Amino acid sequence: MKRTFLAVLAAALGALVTGVPAWAHHSFAAAYDTTNAITVHGVISQVLLRNPHSWFVIDVKDASGKIEQWSFEAGTPSGMIRNGYKPDIIKQGAEVTIKGFRARDASQNRGMLRELTTADGKSYGMFGPQEGPGK
Amino acid sequence: MKRSILTAMAAAALVWSTAGTARLAAQSGTPAAKAPRTADGHPDLSGVWWRGADVGGKLPGGGSITAPAGGRGATPPPTFVNLYSPSAAAKAKTLSDKDDPALGCTNTAFGTLNVSLFDVGAVGQIVQTPKFLIMLTETYNSFQIIPIDGRPRRDAVPPSNRGDGIGHWEGDTLVVDKTNFTDTSWIYAEGRVSFHSDALHMVERYRRVDSNTLEIEATLEDPKVLTKPWVVPKQTLVLAPFDQIMELACSNETQSLIEGASKQAPGK
Repeated sequence: MKRTFLAVLAAALGALVTGVPAWAHHSFAAAYDTTNAITVHGVISQVLLRNPHSWFVIDVKDASGKIEQWSFEAGTPSGMIRNGYKPDIIKQGAEVTIKGFRARDASQNRGMLRELTTADGKSYGMFGPQEGPGK
Repeated sequence: MKRSILTAMAAAALVWSTAGTARLAAQSGTPAAKAPRTADGHPDLSGVWWRGADVGGKLPGGGSITAPAGGRGATPPPTFVNLYSPSAAAKAKTLSDKDDPALGCTNTAFGTLNVSLFDVGAVGQIVQTPKFLIMLTETYNSFQIIPIDGRPRRDAVPPSNRGDGIGHWEGDTLVVDKTNFTDTSWIYAEGRVSFHSDALHMVERYRRVDSNTLEIEATLEDPKVLTKPWVVPKQTLVLAPFDQIMELACSNETQSLIEGASKQAPGK
């Protein structure tokens, strides 16, 4: 069922080889499987710009109309802000597509964010728009 | 194959880091002002320092600061762990990224980017007074207070994850000597296995070469686990365009993910 809304790209995408800025101050690899890339489309229900890492919570609707909530871990709030991210730039209700890597614990709908794209085509990386240096 | 790619990436990152000063100077086109001095005549190292961008941000000369190769067994050269004794190397093989003390919010003994001011992040602030050099690290909110007024090293303090430092001036270079480490922190974070012993001894040399540039050299020795001292490649930092760091507190909020992963794939 999940395959109807969740594109699982089971390619051998190593975070190091693809240059993903998986900077977590500890090992993201311990929590997320960088060979298990996922793409999720849905509506933002919550943006948590907080320490130590920010989170984007998204409501995803499957083919039957059932809503499932996913959470994607992004960068540090300080890094995101310095790279040009504004606290109100992505609001609740915004339609987004998130690419990321799924948690190793497959019982949880969580992932590491690689790219967030809004309906108007703007893209944000794990640490924001990456326009740095900011202030 | 993968290992060779990782090695090349690490080497490229190293070249980038050591070429930072030349690139930034060439871009600005104008010579930087002289390093400021304090009332006692010493160079003033105060300021917020970084490499020109935060993690993920674009650097003035192109490229960006990304995570060092790490986790899951990757170890870029040249590093502390390349100098492990045979017994230390054997112990290292029993550890993995999920043993990283930073997962539990423990500071590193040195720093992921080979800059102790940064610890596990990429930004730090120095406040210099006549008595102390105060090093404030944004990530994990840590601090180090280094006496620079000629007093002897204090002896009645317990070992700490970041060590106890004492400083003195050699001309315009501030030499910081750190001992009294615990053996529970690692040299780096990001899952790079890099344990050390309580015999770790670190000597860092700070030199503000102009108003915008801080160079840091460091040597780490640890006779209990290393075969010889590790001479860290010179690190070049630039003054950030802001004068206050932020809070970046740590919590182990991904712990449930890690524990869940361990249950589903024991040993991995």
